[in-house]
Amino acid sequence: MIDFEAALKALADAGVNFIIVGGYAAAAHGSAQITKDLDICYERSTENQTRLAASLIALHARLRDVPEGLPFVLDRQAIAQGMNFTLTTDVGDIDVFGELPGVGQFADLARDAVAMELYGSTFRVASLGALIQSKRAVGRPKDLNALSELEALQELDTHRKSNKKS
Amino acid sequence: MTVEEQSRLYALVQNPPKDSKIEAAKRFGTDLTLTLRNLALTPDQRVKEMEGALRFVEDLQRAARRTKQ
Repeated sequence: MIDFEAALKALADAGVNFIIVGGYAAAAHGSAQITKDLDICYERSTENQTRLAASLIALHARLRDVPEGLPFVLDRQAIAQGMNFTLTTDVGDIDVFGELPGVGQFADLARDAVAMELYGSTFRVASLGALIQSKRAVGRPKDLNALSELEALQELDTHRKSNKKS
Repeated sequence: MTVEEQSRLYALVQNPPKDSKIEAAKRFGTDLTLTLRNLALTPDQRVKEMEGALRFVEDLQRAARRTKQ
């Protein structure tokens, strides 16, 4: 099973600039769905790509769902030439996105990302709105299932906030 | 979240406004009582609950595989 805490701390300790997205972000917002991997969106600067590559190499990251033995070196150059990677690591599966479908890149997500306290550290988590946009854009059956809950969550959140104001 | 807030949200889920996203999710078959329960927790507690559920599912899958063998 993935060790979410170890994965997040490895990225944070390496100084990677990232935002948590996907099912884990949805769970942090209150979704009752279970996810088996960690999805993050990373900032595409050269420095950050270097930090991301270093942290992924330390976790012995390799491409997931590709034939065994396929030559691939996960370094800064590979990250610069690619965009999104689905990886297996020593601590579990991690998907790294340079761009999130329907939302955009790190800066687009950062605009309304939420700071959340997880495992005693603060991490940036994509907003419910961004998660909804991304699920809508991908539109796989499993995303549509998650979408209905996320939209209800957003509505519950709006009701909660409006009640607090009144 | 206060008990009053929880009660208000619970009532909303029980009787959602017509054409609302909450109503649509219920029609879709989403169990929002689980979601409501999560809203009463902190983000840290939510992800830890999710990890516990994932551990349970994976243990169950392993046991099922062993039984098949």
